Amino acid sequence: MRRVKLEKWVITLVIIVLVMGVALTSSLAQNPVTIKFAHFYDPMAGPGHIMNIEWLEKTVVAFEKENPGIKVEFEWAKWDEIDIRSIRDYAAGIPHDVMMSSPQLMPKHAIAGDYLDLTSYVAKWPKPRAEDINWTPVWGKLFPLGIPLGIHTRTTVYRRDFFERYGLDPERTPEDLESLIEYAQFLTRDTDGDGRTDIWGLGMYFGASRATIELYFAPYIWNFDGKLWDPETKKADFASEAGVKATRFVYDLVNTYKVTPEWATVGTYDEVGLINFLNGTYAMFTGFGSYWIGPLEDKGWVTGIFPPKPYGKATVADVFVAATKPQAQFTNAWGLSINKLSEHPDESFKFIDFIVTGERLIDYPDAGLPTLLSLWDKPELQTDFYQEWLKAAMHGKSMPYTAYYGELADTVAAALQEILIKKVPIEATLKKFEDEYNAKYAGE
Amino acid sequence: MRSKKGGLYILWEYKLPYLFLVPSVILLIFFLALPLISGIYMSFQKISLAGISEFVGFQNYRLLVGEERFRNNLLLSVLYVAGNVGLSVPLAYAAALLITGKLRGTQFFRAIFLTPFIVTPVVSAILFRSMVDPSFGPITTLLEMITGKRYIILADSTLAMLTIIGHSFWRSFSFVMLFLAAGIATIPTEIYEAAKVDGAGAWARFRSVTFPLTKMHLAIVLLIITMWTVQDAETVYALTGGGPGYSTEVTAVRLFKDAFINFNLSYGATIGVFLLMLSAVFMALYFNLMMRGGELSQ
Repeated sequence: MRRVKLEKWVITLVIIVLVMGVALTSSLAQNPVTIKFAHFYDPMAGPGHIMNIEWLEKTVVAFEKENPGIKVEFEWAKWDEIDIRSIRDYAAGIPHDVMMSSPQLMPKHAIAGDYLDLTSYVAKWPKPRAEDINWTPVWGKLFPLGIPLGIHTRTTVYRRDFFERYGLDPERTPEDLESLIEYAQFLTRDTDGDGRTDIWGLGMYFGASRATIELYFAPYIWNFDGKLWDPETKKADFASEAGVKATRFVYDLVNTYKVTPEWATVGTYDEVGLINFLNGTYAMFTGFGSYWIGPLEDKGWVTGIFPPKPYGKATVADVFVAATKPQAQFTNAWGLSINKLSEHPDESFKFIDFIVTGERLIDYPDAGLPTLLSLWDKPELQTDFYQEWLKAAMHGKSMPYTAYYGELADTVAAALQEILIKKVPIEATLKKFEDEYNAKYAGE
Repeated sequence: MRSKKGGLYILWEYKLPYLFLVPSVILLIFFLALPLISGIYMSFQKISLAGISEFVGFQNYRLLVGEERFRNNLLLSVLYVAGNVGLSVPLAYAAALLITGKLRGTQFFRAIFLTPFIVTPVVSAILFRSMVDPSFGPITTLLEMITGKRYIILADSTLAMLTIIGHSFWRSFSFVMLFLAAGIATIPTEIYEAAKVDGAGAWARFRSVTFPLTKMHLAIVLLIITMWTVQDAETVYALTGGGPGYSTEVTAVRLFKDAFINFNLSYGATIGVFLLMLSAVFMALYFNLMMRGGELSQ
């Protein structure tokens, strides 16, 4: 009797284990693969970022619908920390999947080894598809560790209505630094007679950020035939005669001509740049990024520009290329990379593959200019507005290819802030900062 | 006659209490001792981004000490501590006396004074930053009303540092006040009554009764606040990022930037060792104060 009872218990237990095993196996089989996508769009940062988040959400929904076995989860890091986070987490053994990456930090990634080489994936693309994307100037800076999402360059944005109001022809814009200063002085106004400037002629940004070296120092050092960093000697070279002239130029904008506000050294690039331009604080703002075209459309200052339409037109706000000799502004692109610790590299590349297509990128706000050659043939990009951006991209330059680019950017930003705020001697201060940088990183 | 019972015997005799201490000791070893030793070891290495390390002796130390920026970082840390402590302690004593007194409204003041303590550091830093916004900040507007001049507070080295000190004072004041109030509450009222009978005024009672009998509490709270201030990177970074230039870049912010933003682990570790040495100097000062306070209370 006892034996029969025992047998019954054993059989019941075996059946329960079998049922649980089947249930577990089938649930595992049904569980989708989840990949993480690290981006930097912050809804608190303003309209530009909100548009990008909405686009990301829309894209993820479409991807998951087409790929029911793959789920995408967002991760977030600040735009100037996302690359370092990848390096840091790789060292700590923390996996990620798809990550946004910047080309100027690719030397760091190459040394750290935190990104996957995408050559084998891209090799499977048909030739026309590969040629559609690898023509772009930023391809070489990102690939094989990343694939560009677009081309970002910068122009000077200006208020056509302010030009008209004060008797300037909005079709004619400054073409060199001297005329830029003249325009800026003419447009700087105290509109309510309280002794304080209400409209600044030329907005800029000199905060503690990479944007300072990239957009507000590099174009001017290039104008004076200088460079930030010498690839031969592998030393910082921003204290050269060209660097001094570039610094003197920005110093005079703030302190001599007073066409750029002193508070350009405080706050974030988005706050000082986009938000103030949209608030009507500037007649012109230089270093205006192609990632900010969407908010201009939202504001109603351009029509049919974003998404681009053949009839697109700049109505209130328009752009012109950098008023420097080489007309060069910093040009780069955000890319998509796969973290080496990813447990789902194939699914991660599938997601990248899904995004980097004409139909997805055409209305991606942060794409800037199309990275796909096929998109440039479209009539939507033949408008005057986009042709000006194309001119800017074609004249664009990149940042020095050094693993210590981040440190170089911090050093230059700190030097400029000290000079602009404390009004210390330019040459000596630049030399001091350059020497400090070279003492640690020369030759690297 | 000397006892023949040695240390092992004592260990065995009190094995249970020692056993209770073992988990804490293990935690201390893993989360304090090992990271400390690892950090010191890293400070003598040059570590590449690929994780390859090379022994370089005191090279990192030499480079940092020879760097004007780093010497400035250390000086700013000392100024930061001095400013915060210099503001917190006198005002916290006054507030502690207020809330331990028998005046009306002490409950209300207690609640008000404790509010900064419960706000997250980064949130309060961002709040302070908006208060000194060059266009719309209420402090900027108030300063303009008083002086007639519009200041860009965070673009001025001195004002930016004062803002950081002010923010830190606002945060640490309530903790200092609470701690000192706890100390004041332990003083028997008879001593105050005796002092009053002897004709001692308010200042004399503070100088002769309150201060000497709360010296131990003061030393402890000074130690805690100093350690917090020396190690504070998050609020300074959120407020100014160490700018303008490097004029508010305290040592902790420099460590954060080098180690976690630029991923320069060797410099980060070396700066960490310097920070430890700075903390040790402050600790030695306060221990001295505590020892003298302990003698007095005996």
